[in-house]
Amino acid sequence: MNKAAAKHLKDKSRTQWQDETLWIVRGKRDNLSKQIPEWEKLRDAASALKLYSNSHLPELLEQFESNAVRNGAIVHWAKDAKEYREIIGGILTEHKVKNFVKSKSMLSEECELVPYLQSLGIDAVETDLGERIIQLMGQKPSHIVLPAIHVKREQVGELFTAQMDAEPGNYDPTYLTHTARRNLRMKFLGADAAMTGGNFAVASTGEVVVCTNEGNADIGTSLAPLQIAAFGIDKIVPDRESLGVFTRLLARSATGQPVTAYTTHYSGSREGVEFHIVIVDNGRSRILADRQHFKLLNCLRCGACMNTCPVFRRIGGHSYSYFIPGPVGTNLGMTADPKKYKDNLSLCSLCHSCSCVCPAKVDLADQIYAWRQDWHTSQAKHAISSGMSFVMKHPALLNAGLKVAPVGMKILKAFGLKWGKGREMPDMKK
Amino acid sequence: MNSKDIILNSLRTAGAEQFPRPDLHALEADAMKYDDPFAQFCSAVKAAGGNVVGLEGSLEETVKKLYPDAVKVASTVKGCTGFNPDEVATPGELDGTDVAVVKGEFGVAENGAVWLQQNFRHRALLFISEALVIVMDKKALVNNMHEAYLRLGEIPTGYGIFISGPSKTADIEQALVFGAHGARNLTVIVI
Repeated sequence: MNKAAAKHLKDKSRTQWQDETLWIVRGKRDNLSKQIPEWEKLRDAASALKLYSNSHLPELLEQFESNAVRNGAIVHWAKDAKEYREIIGGILTEHKVKNFVKSKSMLSEECELVPYLQSLGIDAVETDLGERIIQLMGQKPSHIVLPAIHVKREQVGELFTAQMDAEPGNYDPTYLTHTARRNLRMKFLGADAAMTGGNFAVASTGEVVVCTNEGNADIGTSLAPLQIAAFGIDKIVPDRESLGVFTRLLARSATGQPVTAYTTHYSGSREGVEFHIVIVDNGRSRILADRQHFKLLNCLRCGACMNTCPVFRRIGGHSYSYFIPGPVGTNLGMTADPKKYKDNLSLCSLCHSCSCVCPAKVDLADQIYAWRQDWHTSQAKHAISSGMSFVMKHPALLNAGLKVAPVGMKILKAFGLKWGKGREMPDMKK
Repeated sequence: MNSKDIILNSLRTAGAEQFPRPDLHALEADAMKYDDPFAQFCSAVKAAGGNVVGLEGSLEETVKKLYPDAVKVASTVKGCTGFNPDEVATPGELDGTDVAVVKGEFGVAENGAVWLQQNFRHRALLFISEALVIVMDKKALVNNMHEAYLRLGEIPTGYGIFISGPSKTADIEQALVFGAHGARNLTVIVI
């Protein structure tokens, strides 16, 4: 078991609290999906639409660009994370931006944008409440939709007393949220530029669609004199008709709501304001060429796989080594750098719940299993299996071994056999 | 080669399996429809934290009854006076608006969303006020998001947005709070 997970599990009450919280979110998703008789047909359609889009990207991307430009946007292409950072950094420094506000974007985490902008002397402020909490705590998000799900209200209260004008000892979530509202409203009013990610980029209309609840993306981009939207190539959808499918699945899967408070269609710019769009590859074209793993790019980034995963719910997002945790993150990490992230593969019981809830029908569990076939995750397991094959070839040894086994197991346990930690090791019958 | 060409070339030479575009007609035909779409719409708006009301007198009187303490009311709808938000030079000056009154094009029964087009100068108006009032034709309703997007069609019409309910968050211990960064309160007035 990895060290981070072990540390997390030591705090039993916290483990239980997080497990229960995430299961409630999973429950909300279930309630809403059961209200729609055509739910499974929606999933089939979403999967088919994504497979179509992701296998026709060249023409759809060009169609998107052409329409976005016609609407008045400026379109950039970034082949990797470095170029993404430099394009955005370049736009901001050209416009002499000092105060920058952004809404939630896992792509920006992937490409490590905020530290880069800060190194350029730009004050980059996360404005999603959960992301802002995490930013002020100096942490990374532990969930792609609920970034501060591991944080308790007392921690937020103390943080906001120190960093905002919250009165000490008031841990009421409503009070704290409205404290952040006042504080961030000043950031929005003083921002020189605002950036969003993109949930969907519509080829037929050149629109970037952003689905949110808080209104931070909307207020930020409606006040700042410069707007940027950046997204990965796998966010392309063919047309608005396809959005009918996606917008019925996304919020129900992510948070158990029929739809987010805001579903914004950015098209063209405001008077006197430049609207820059950045289209990013950063390894996605390579994943699409991989016959075993291309379906991973069906992902709508809803987080349902995390909410259902019995392992994730107990160990939390920070126990994973890749910036996106849970079933989808484990798979994405392996496509990014298998040697570096293979330890996440052991954080899976192969229960297949993730594959069952995924709105876009990514075969998450099958892909984890396929990776496990290729990568040995534990030296001990390897030693045991090669040791076993030696013994099986020498029957005398096997018989001697069986006689010794009851004592042997006691000895092994006494020496704290690592593989057994967390598992109930059987007592050998005499 | 520039990055656009590098990316497109990388995609074209990948030899990825090609999948056809699915036909969505059967799904759209089978999708949930309501005997009483208006009742479903009201229930969905309420579940999202908003409210649907009819007129009580004139539009102006209705807004006054809903928000008796409101001082700064911005209106883009005829029949409701307030200050004209289009006359403000910069969107930031709209901060401090108590109520913004705007027109909604149509509502979606399944989730209580209302589609709005920007027919006023500053789109910030939709998010910066403490309360948002959307005035909508009671008969302008579709059943679900398939019907909504088919109604909108594939020609871009500039900025547009579906709004369903006030701004909200549950980022602090999953406790639902209204009024994160956008309007704390939403009322749909159907006429």
